[in-house]
Amino acid sequence: MNDIVTIKGLKYGLQLTFAKGASFDDVQANLLDKLQSGNNFFIRGTTVFVPKGSFAEEQTEALRKMFHRHGMLFSTELKRPNLAPPSRDNVKTPAPKVKEAVDEAQKMMVINRTVRGGQEITANCSVLICGNVNPGAQIIAGGSIDIRGTCRGFVHAGAFGDKTACVVADRLMPVQIQIADIIARAPDEPEKVSQAERAIIKDNTIVFEPVSR
Amino acid sequence: MSQILVITSGKGGVGKTTTTANIGVGLAMRGNKVALIDTDTGLRNLDLLLGLENRILYDLVDVTSGRVQYKKALVRHKKFENLYLLPTSQIKDKSAVNPEQLVKLCEEMKKEFEFIIIDCPAGIEQGFKTAIAAADTAIVVTMPEISAVRDADKIIGELGRADKENVKLVVNRIRQQMVEKGDMLDMNDIDEILSIACIGQVPDDESVVVATNRGEPVITMSNSLAGQAYKNIVARICGENVPFLKPPKEGFFARLKKLFGLL
Repeated sequence: MNDIVTIKGLKYGLQLTFAKGASFDDVQANLLDKLQSGNNFFIRGTTVFVPKGSFAEEQTEALRKMFHRHGMLFSTELKRPNLAPPSRDNVKTPAPKVKEAVDEAQKMMVINRTVRGGQEITANCSVLICGNVNPGAQIIAGGSIDIRGTCRGFVHAGAFGDKTACVVADRLMPVQIQIADIIARAPDEPEKVSQAERAIIKDNTIVFEPVSR
Repeated sequence: MSQILVITSGKGGVGKTTTTANIGVGLAMRGNKVALIDTDTGLRNLDLLLGLENRILYDLVDVTSGRVQYKKALVRHKKFENLYLLPTSQIKDKSAVNPEQLVKLCEEMKKEFEFIIIDCPAGIEQGFKTAIAAADTAIVVTMPEISAVRDADKIIGELGRADKENVKLVVNRIRQQMVEKGDMLDMNDIDEILSIACIGQVPDDESVVVATNRGEPVITMSNSLAGQAYKNIVARICGENVPFLKPPKEGFFARLKKLFGLL
């Protein structure tokens, strides 16, 4: 069964090749299995290359989503990531440069403390916070934001227009949340949050969905 | 080994000065030699709480500017012989003292005193930066109220930026009835946001106002709950492990009222 997908480690990511004749559903199930098994290959922030033309467009898109959901980057082209920091202009012209921002997002900034009111973290890349984000704090990231704690501040993921960016927190209760150019605010009546959640863009609005971790 | 504590809060009116006076008196009652330094230049209050206003001759600004020796400016407390106050000027403003001067002064005073407690002004500007410069332990005072907790959070962040890692929390003016009704933040809510070690939970107590106006800190009143809470804080500063006060049992009439309230 394991031969349906072959994983080859490259300098800047993982290349996937698929057994001839394997159906898309088998490949997807197989990959999901691997992703959920906690395999050491699939570390958050790793880029996964799937050769162009392996699958139909919507199928490739489904794979892209699956990898994004697991914190990985997805690419159909085998190329060295461009590590130059994207400039602020990207916000105005997101379409051609999103790619660049996505590549940038594979780096990750780790903050090993609680971010308190009045403090601000800005990064071109993704941000991992091992601590809380308190009310009055701001996190702005070019990539995704992962908070191992409670998020009560203001978070903005995909600041350069990357709509695939997400925000994950053990308890996600931000005052305001922004992904790319879409903003949502907390409900006026505070809700009790008991489970880890992820915020992503679905149909041009930000939705929260439970995740296990 | 002497300790330098700074009592700070960010927000005004949460009880920094009251806490300073009570911890100072408490430590002195235990036989420690204690100096209190008021750094709230221009808005000094600590002398009033201790009932020492009429004994002030020189102030902190006179000392830091080199006009007099600090020993000349110290005011000894009338009841507790181990307790001294270094008052500040009521005429000058916060820019009259800078951090280096205070650090130097504290270094000198360390030789004489076991505890030096610095009363910090509200805010995060120069007065705050001066007050925290010399301290090795910071005690952040807050109240169960979102604005006070938010400001305490900010202050803890600022203390971290100034490399003050030893930060303790005192929650002041807790109203147990309101907490039980869910109208006031409880300790869990506060702990969750601030996540630093709490060394005191002081109930809101009318006797604090009485004590302030009389110039005798509430810790000297044996029948006051707030006084007892401050005694416990002092014990914890001295390294003792004291459990937190339990809320007082409701009297018969209070229970009766509550019963009718429910019906």
